[in-house]
Amino acid sequence: MKKILAIIMLIITFFIIYFLQANFFTWFNIGGVMPNLFVIFVLFIGVFVGKKVGLALGIIFGVYLDIILGNSFYISGILLGLLGLLAELLEKNFSKDSRITIILLIIAGTVLFEVIFYIYKIIVTTKSFEILPFLKILTIEIIFNILITIILYPIIQKIGNILEKLFKNITLRYF
Amino acid sequence: MYKNKKSGVFGIIITTIILILLVVLSNIKANNVSFLENIFSSIVMPIQNGLTYLKNKIEGNNTFFTDITKLKSENEELKEKNSQLEQSLRELEIIKSENEVLKEYVNLKDKYDYQTVPAYVINKSINNYSKTIIINAGEENGIKPNMTVIANEGLVGYVISTTQNTAKVQTIIDTAASVSSVISTTRQAIIVSGTLENDNMLKAMYIPTDAEILENDKVETSGIGGIYPKGIKIGTIKQIVNTKNNIDRYAYVETAVDFSKLETVLVITNE
Repeated sequence: MKKILAIIMLIITFFIIYFLQANFFTWFNIGGVMPNLFVIFVLFIGVFVGKKVGLALGIIFGVYLDIILGNSFYISGILLGLLGLLAELLEKNFSKDSRITIILLIIAGTVLFEVIFYIYKIIVTTKSFEILPFLKILTIEIIFNILITIILYPIIQKIGNILEKLFKNITLRYF
Repeated sequence: MYKNKKSGVFGIIITTIILILLVVLSNIKANNVSFLENIFSSIVMPIQNGLTYLKNKIEGNNTFFTDITKLKSENEELKEKNSQLEQSLRELEIIKSENEVLKEYVNLKDKYDYQTVPAYVINKSINNYSKTIIINAGEENGIKPNMTVIANEGLVGYVISTTQNTAKVQTIIDTAASVSSVISTTRQAIIVSGTLENDNMLKAMYIPTDAEILENDKVETSGIGGIYPKGIKIGTIKQIVNTKNNIDRYAYVETAVDFSKLETVLVITNE
């Protein structure tokens, strides 16, 4: 019951993030570049809740975004699912109680998502690569994601530990 | 990670301030900068002027008076050139207004034949690489895929898909978008595409080698391609980038529509 409630809360959080991304960050941006909170959120689910839930929710959220605003390529679904899956696998090699680890994970996740997303879009639309503008946007997006992660880190860690306890039955943590 | 609670809170506050500063500084408009520039220059410039005056005095900088005869003749020449340029400008303005009247006349029928459905933009794209929008008019309002979407100022894009009450529109600034267009003055065909570089700028490509394009030339839809009707304003050429062989030269077109402030649109339901 508690697990279902937690998943419902995660879905509600997704919609809050969606509205933040579609409204607040359209004007609160760095040089017109928005952060990608979905990447942070799915990585968070993957790390603390587990790869199965990360994969499932990542795909659901991504497909939803593709249907609502994408051009029906369903690439966001695949990529967010992949991030949810990879997050736990990557996390096993590091400590999630380190802020640096989480930041590195966010950088890797953002790069993976955006690079594949952009390459896929270029291939599908047969347009030419705009390498420099893309790198500029990607760099700003990474910085934005890092700053948000630093600000939200205490909340991420606190809620993450509760979710981890619930989904992975971890009762004792070593620091 | 946090050694104590105080330093953790301090770190978060500092990061938040950095983030807000980055957002504010990156979005500051040129007008605001020039306002600040005015304040700063009003502090420094009077002193700088005084110092320059003193420096010139000390150095005996009186070349102005010695070269006065030369300057007089140069002035006469420039006056003459100026009057010639003014004359040509007047002639060009007459041609321009005649041209505009003729164009208006030619496009008049098309313009008034459009039946449009007004709609509000209710959602904008949530990532940095796609520029799609959602409008609050759908199948119930007679909107179908591939219909053209315009704003008062010019072309916005076309409908990709519809639901009962909403429609998804791919804007012309999306990197996936390409619009077959013509330069209004010379009627030469070009292709304009969305670019990642700027949200209100398009890239004009496949410019014919013999095409005479100038900055401030207007660009409009050509009617070729089956989606956009002919004669809808797209924007104005802002910069021409010439290359060695002229084949791959391109230009930047400033969109007529300001997409950052786009709130209402019109969907053309008949073409």
